[in-house]
Amino acid sequence: MFGLFKKKKSASVAKDRLTIAIMSDRDRLDQYPFMDELKAEIIEVVKKYIGVKGVSITKEMEGDVEALSIDVELDKDHTD
Amino acid sequence: MGVVIAVISGKGGVGKTTTTANIGLGIAQNNKKCVVVDFDIGQRNLDMILGLENRVVYDMVQVMEGESNLKQALIKSKANKNLRFLAASQTKDKSILESSKIEKLIRALKREFDFVILDAPAGIESGYEHTIEFADAAIVVVNPEVSSIRDADRAIGILDSKSDKVKNGGEVEKYLIINRIVSDMVQSGEMLRSEDILDILDISLLGKIPEDRGIVDASNQGKPVILDKDSLAGQAYKRVCDRLCGEKVEMKDVENNDKGIFKKLTGMFK
Repeated sequence: MFGLFKKKKSASVAKDRLTIAIMSDRDRLDQYPFMDELKAEIIEVVKKYIGVKGVSITKEMEGDVEALSIDVELDKDHTD
Repeated sequence: MGVVIAVISGKGGVGKTTTTANIGLGIAQNNKKCVVVDFDIGQRNLDMILGLENRVVYDMVQVMEGESNLKQALIKSKANKNLRFLAASQTKDKSILESSKIEKLIRALKREFDFVILDAPAGIESGYEHTIEFADAAIVVVNPEVSSIRDADRAIGILDSKSDKVKNGGEVEKYLIINRIVSDMVQSGEMLRSEDILDILDISLLGKIPEDRGIVDASNQGKPVILDKDSLAGQAYKRVCDRLCGEKVEMKDVENNDKGIFKKLTGMFK
């Protein structure tokens, strides 16, 4: 009888592990095939107005809302 | 104009080709014109499962390259007159696939058939991407185990970003088939239940197929299990096909079959 409660059933262990693994898989940006092109295009657009060193894009999640956060690093020599 | 359905899984060995064969035959049994296409270039398998390996003369790549016309290459199923099969190329490597040629082939098939079922290769490489490129819908096949489900999620991610329909602002419909369910193990908590898998993958359920020893026997003979009316897996595939053909078929609880709690209880009093 006590054996029933001894340990967590392996199916529920599987579910927990999968949920976490898949969440982190989905967060990885290399899932987006267009990411490099997107970065290059953003650099091109910003460059028209101001010097730019690089662009980093991260995916952020809050509850059900997903957002791409785009950081544009300016090139110091060209800022003034 | 027919509908194009890619059968995908990510992981190999989960029953993708078996599912393609049974679905193709089941749709044909519903009096719809259906063609199944083996997209696993270099690793032909669907011909064996359908029992048509001796009839392959021309393959898909030869059709795309204009070395054979489509009519010559389409092989008639022995089991049903509504089903045709187009073989994968055995010799050429998959880098031979080109989007424009695939599109042309699929468009030609859509004109002839109500259903065009594409058997994707395992993995998520270029051969897979080409299979899903012009699909209207996808059937995702998983086994109730962690690596299969994780790989399926990756394959779905690629489908959602690289298919032609998505690139043009549309959406590829996705349906899940859970294959090789062992009801005893689900009952005892040693195997993931379908609700959990659906939670994780977040797509709609098309069918649950129980583990069935008859599958190997069916493959041995080249006669898909759906032809065996007594087989549990065959019956499950039939329900899947009826759903695909627009019938409302109740989802049978294969995780709770006769070996479930009721039988166990009655067994106690024997």
